[in-house]
Amino acid sequence: MILQHFENQESGIMNAIRENPESASPRKKLALETARLGKRLYSNTDDLVWAGPLIPFDLLNAMDVTPAFAEFIASILVSTDAGPLFFENAEQAGYASDTCGYHRMLMGSALKGMIPTPKLLISAMSPCTGGLAAMENLARVFKKDLFILHIPQKESDHGVRILADHIRDMAESVSSHTGKVLDNDRLRKAMENTNKTREILSDIYTLAQQVPSPVNGRDLSNFGIVLPLFFGTEVGIEIAQAFYDELKSRIKANRSGVPGERIRLMWLQNRIQFKNNLVKMLEKEFNASIVVDELNVITWDPIDPEDPYIGLARRSISSPLNGTVERRVKQIVKLAEAYKIDGAINPCHWGCRQGTGARGLIDSRMKEIGVPVLNLEVDCVDPRNFAEGQLITRIEAFMEMIESRPSPW
Amino acid sequence: MYYLGIDIGSLTCDAVLIDDSEKILASSVVPTGARNREAIMRAADEVLRSACISEKEVTATVSTGYGRKRVEGRLTAVTEITCHARGIKALLPGTRLLIDIGGQDSKAIELDENGQVVDFAMNDKCAAGTGRFLDAMARALQVDIEKMSELDNGARGNLTISSMCTVFAESEVVSLIAEGVKVNEIVYGLNRSIASRTLSLIKRIMPNTNGLPIAMSGGVARNSGVVRAISNAMESKVVIPPMPDTIGALGAALIARERYSHN
Ligand code: SF4
Repeated sequence: MILQHFENQESGIMNAIRENPESASPRKKLALETARLGKRLYSNTDDLVWAGPLIPFDLLNAMDVTPAFAEFIASILVSTDAGPLFFENAEQAGYASDTCGYHRMLMGSALKGMIPTPKLLISAMSPCTGGLAAMENLARVFKKDLFILHIPQKESDHGVRILADHIRDMAESVSSHTGKVLDNDRLRKAMENTNKTREILSDIYTLAQQVPSPVNGRDLSNFGIVLPLFFGTEVGIEIAQAFYDELKSRIKANRSGVPGERIRLMWLQNRIQFKNNLVKMLEKEFNASIVVDELNVITWDPIDPEDPYIGLARRSISSPLNGTVERRVKQIVKLAEAYKIDGAINPCHWGCRQGTGARGLIDSRMKEIGVPVLNLEVDCVDPRNFAEGQLITRIEAFMEMIESRPSPW
Repeated sequence: MYYLGIDIGSLTCDAVLIDDSEKILASSVVPTGARNREAIMRAADEVLRSACISEKEVTATVSTGYGRKRVEGRLTAVTEITCHARGIKALLPGTRLLIDIGGQDSKAIELDENGQVVDFAMNDKCAAGTGRFLDAMARALQVDIEKMSELDNGARGNLTISSMCTVFAESEVVSLIAEGVKVNEIVYGLNRSIASRTLSLIKRIMPNTNGLPIAMSGGVARNSGVVRAISNAMESKVVIPPMPDTIGALGAALIARERYSHN
């Protein structure tokens, strides 16, 4: 059933582009490649490894092992017809309904046999131990091994070296579980690809900072979370390039992402994963654009292809999903300034301690620089709890408030 | 020229009519019921009739409340938060914190010295501590909701209602009655539980409200027991404007006037 979903998605996008080549867009390209990846995950052809965020997917790609990114698959399953059923399943099996929806979705679908069996599972303690617990549960369902990657919370040379060694262990473990060896030339090539993608990404984010911004509230949603799946591959470069070209051409044509952009917003943590009208409403009624997502950021230097483990380790440690709240808040403030935002929206995803625990600290630091924050309290994954009317009132009131005050910049 | 503000809440639909000098000519409060449109028409009809003005003479209408987008012929729709802030600025200028508790929402709104909204917090999805919560409790106590205000008289006040959830609180109340606890003590306990919920909403946006002028609007502001409990919890005076349930509609009417002249 899920394989069918991906096949339909792939052929649907291809047909649409064939019939109307004008309709091709970077967003479609990204959707097409994720559908293809989804197809591979469900076709029983590839060696799969389940992995959480912060795991170096490019290393897996270099080994010809397909990364099954847990939260990413969960968000895809949400949009299938069986989504609500999977949540019910998890709850019936005793998974508390106030835990993170990503994990509930994974458990519910695993119990129904709806997610593909990997050769190995890899999880880190970051961003949340809930993710680790979910992976432990999955490992039990699949009867497979779980490799735990210990990512230090603090950025220090010592910590980087330890993690670099640990990533090497991880690669060995993947090798012994899949029979795939890590070829040095392929690893080098993968790192070069990663660096190239990184460079284009950095250019994309620089373009997005322009006032008015060439991006609308939808262009780059989930971008910083999904693109790493393609790190190390040619496809990753192609996707990034498509976005860059599109933004460049908009700028050339003097076209902003949201026509007549009046309000610039930042979205904190993750987006709402199921269909909803909030972003469109922001654009249509307030000419407001989400110009930046907290996770659309590059916090790492290019990786040395001759000595990749150190660079990979630095990248994982520096992620906004890892480390202290203080570091996270600093990063958010930096983005707020770079993108000149008028306000930030924090979904405070239901069940997420990592995301919501920092809320007070984020609010007060942003207040200091004159940027208001709206806390929504929404389940970003489980649509059964979605009270759209309530959320719209909050967002509209927030927009009215921003409109009535001078810009912080 | 006349301006109409309509506030379509979950329990009541309110209308206020003002003239060019911002004078309130008439106001009305009708139950929303199941049919929004009828309630809107009735509320509007009532104010027009009592001010002896025909519909055609209304220059602009602004709607607010959860049903704000259902009002036909409106100039625009504005959220309750902005409207309540605008309404209170007219009646109690200088207010820096506005507490608004309506049928199913409670809000804390921080205002600057010019009466502009600086920050706000709204209750979560749950209706605990709102008008509907009080309705359910009045039912459990078998008392008239209008009389709830004075029912805490003489309470010694050592009872706490621990359940936040409306359904659980209702059964807690029922068992307290069965245990023979006096009604005034129960009502006092309920008021305090609403006050503590409201306080946590306020603290989220304004950790310190010392010495700042505080006002309260919305239907629940008519319940003096709740107001007393909130001002005790805050250790501050809470001022209630006349007709607190029509502040949102008044704000909408004032915004109608401003936007119309602006356009
Ligand atoms: S949303 Fe929060 S709880 Fe859920 S996976 Fe992400 S960090 Fe963990």
